[in-house]
Amino acid sequence: MADVEGARRALQDVLGSDEVLSDPLALRLYARDASMVEGGCALVAFPHSTEHIVACVRIAAAHGLPVVPRGSGTGLAGAATPIGDALVVVTAKMNDIVEVRLQDRLAWVEPGLFNLDLSTALRPTGFTYAPDPSSQQTSSIGGNVNTNAGGPHCLAYGVTSAHVLALDVVMADGTVERLGGEGPEAPGYDLRGIVVGSEGTLGIVARVCVRLTPLPPAVRTMLLDFTDVSDCAATVSEIIARGVVPAAVEMMDHGIIVAAESFAHAGYPTDAAAILIVEIDGLPSGVEAQAHEVEAAARANHVRTIRVAADDAERALLWKGRKSAFGAVAQIAPHYHLHDCVVPRTKLVDVLAGVYAIAKRHDLIVTNVFHAGDGNLHPLLSFDRRVPGTLERVLEASDEIVRLCVDAGGALSGEHGIGLEKRDFMPLVFTDEDLAAQACVRDAFDPEHRMNPQKVLPAGARCGDFAMMRGSDAAEAAANLPEGSWI
Amino acid sequence: MDLIHPHSKHDTADAVRDAASRGCRLLVIGGRTHVDRGNPSDVDAELWTTMMDEVVAYEPAEMLAVVEAGMRVGDLQATLAEGGQEWPVDAPHEATVGGVIATGVSSFRRLRLGHVRDTVVELELVKGDGVLMKSGARTVKNVTGYDVHRLATGSLGTLGVIVQVALKLRPRPQVRRTLTLEGHGLELGRRLLETVPLPSAVIAGPGRASLWLEGWADEVEEQTTAARSIDPALAVEDQPVPFEPLDIGSPTVVEAAVPPSRIAELVAGRDDWTALMGVGIVWFELPDGPEPLAELRVRVAEAAGVAPVIKGVGGLGDGPIPAGTIHRRLKASFDPAGIMAPGRFWRGI
Repeated sequence: MADVEGARRALQDVLGSDEVLSDPLALRLYARDASMVEGGCALVAFPHSTEHIVACVRIAAAHGLPVVPRGSGTGLAGAATPIGDALVVVTAKMNDIVEVRLQDRLAWVEPGLFNLDLSTALRPTGFTYAPDPSSQQTSSIGGNVNTNAGGPHCLAYGVTSAHVLALDVVMADGTVERLGGEGPEAPGYDLRGIVVGSEGTLGIVARVCVRLTPLPPAVRTMLLDFTDVSDCAATVSEIIARGVVPAAVEMMDHGIIVAAESFAHAGYPTDAAAILIVEIDGLPSGVEAQAHEVEAAARANHVRTIRVAADDAERALLWKGRKSAFGAVAQIAPHYHLHDCVVPRTKLVDVLAGVYAIAKRHDLIVTNVFHAGDGNLHPLLSFDRRVPGTLERVLEASDEIVRLCVDAGGALSGEHGIGLEKRDFMPLVFTDEDLAAQACVRDAFDPEHRMNPQKVLPAGARCGDFAMMRGSDAAEAAANLPEGSWI
Repeated sequence: MDLIHPHSKHDTADAVRDAASRGCRLLVIGGRTHVDRGNPSDVDAELWTTMMDEVVAYEPAEMLAVVEAGMRVGDLQATLAEGGQEWPVDAPHEATVGGVIATGVSSFRRLRLGHVRDTVVELELVKGDGVLMKSGARTVKNVTGYDVHRLATGSLGTLGVIVQVALKLRPRPQVRRTLTLEGHGLELGRRLLETVPLPSAVIAGPGRASLWLEGWADEVEEQTTAARSIDPALAVEDQPVPFEPLDIGSPTVVEAAVPPSRIAELVAGRDDWTALMGVGIVWFELPDGPEPLAELRVRVAEAAGVAPVIKGVGGLGDGPIPAGTIHRRLKASFDPAGIMAPGRFWRGI
């Protein structure tokens, strides 16, 4: 039985009374992340150091509370939505850049640092931190590590995992381990690679050593405008087939173009069926050669106009429309449900058509803005949940979209993660044996399931036991689920 | 020594399950090109993956290839070349895909292309208990579940047998070129890193440095011009595509890995080294015998690095690993009978 009051007093002794919250408003505020899933928690703590995090983990264990790590709370899959008598450990106040070492092309940062603040601070050095999730103004590096975040520029540069050299992690037993290293190879199994993307279920990331990437000498950003969605999607495959890997290839459909344009005034063609934002970087001559190929690919697929950003200001404007798209959809309806799944690039046209058909069948508005180069779709359903029956239709459509992507040979999530929202879809893509192996990994880190329990793996996935949980066990697990979850 | 030569992943699963029931210890063998990596391991049988050498799926527009683990790297590259692509690994022709991944051998071009682990997007593993499992997906981006494939990469066959993988590819560049500069290798290497944007590799040694360039023709020319500002007399050699693997000839070769800023102190006063500048890999060619290796390992440890032997005798060394308990639990759950190359990994795992 959890001793919340004992834990609160012990935490206040170490962190100070201002850094431990238990009032009803705070508990409500931290009861969810940016997903649709609402949970509940017993305490919220704001550590300022690795030692504070250690104290949080140890005190929670001693008083029987599960621990839910949280960065900025921008996660979209419910990984930071706490359940039951949880202690939510918020790393937002640990936001320093500890050290930048250009010769080693690395920086040590605290987990609460905003992604964009790191890139901005690095810019004068000629280096950058490459992953750039669209949430980068508010999402934290620690959160990015835990979701293995992507972003538009991951097409050429790779996702977060390729840019994290080492992690200081407070493990479930309260010990601190440095996983990975500052050098190019570290001894042992790649535990760093397992923790990246583990959604806070294996430990709390207390410090991150990120890899720095040289800023490219030249960048060209192009806006390609199409009157047919299929032509737009086909251009993506054609660019790749021509041997060009742009830094980013982003696609927006008509609905989202209109919403983003009225919000960002980026000069998007509001009568287009779809647009592509293609960014190429590298050496000036290489950029020239690749731009030539991109234009040829677009022309072969009936592009209407090609606009090239003339300067940094115009480039920023083109990206502003893209990166603020999810905010802009508030103009369509008060609520939205954002999907994240990946399909083979060559299936984009068919899957998009399927997504439109699903939305139409359920009488819902769907818009699409996504990382087309990676095949990473983000269908966005806009709705008003106050209208009776609407949420149910959204959930049914969502279920169908996930199955459509999986049937096309895709994955459940490209960058948002599994969390609570998709964990019970896991058997769609993994066998019992696959899930058991994953459960073994989790148990190796946290045999008592103290860290962010009930996330990622479906109820009943167990190490060493392939039988999925049935009957009363499953009913009990379902009973623990927070209200509003649709898993 | 018994020999097991399975034809399929299900054959492999049967063989490993049988071996586990008998306590028969296995060493997984691919092309035998990286077999010196790891500590010595007493085994009862070798399991060869080389009969599993089919391309399962290859669609150039996806920039992914799914292949069986016993496929030779040279055969794979020939197939990919037809699609205008490559797997960015510079292993010998006869190395196998599974062997390269199990030993975690990255390209010499990792300064620009990254680590081999970031090219493995899906992996099927027959665990030490004979159970076949999969992790990842055949998409370039994926965050679905725990990335067990990252554990298998570089695990030296101590968790199971890699039987199939999906690999992230890249376009085959138009042009490849090597520039060689004579002089103080480290100093030249440093200046090349500062002066030439986006090189694929800067390789320094005593008395010389070379620059590996690749890409569009104009781009390579532009970089060549930049390098000439350091030494107008540099030697230019256009290379076959792909690059030939670096040839390091002595009987014992150590692959030290240190933060790049520590290379200088590591090689000071020596003439037996080749360094990947900006990356932190330094190869040392050592004479036979334990003392030169022991002396080098002390030096590397002081520079916050590790120094496994990759050719010859000497194993991984006895540096510490983090989270020893977690390592042991992982080994016990993936290989409960302890048959997969016991002791070959770090710290006797």
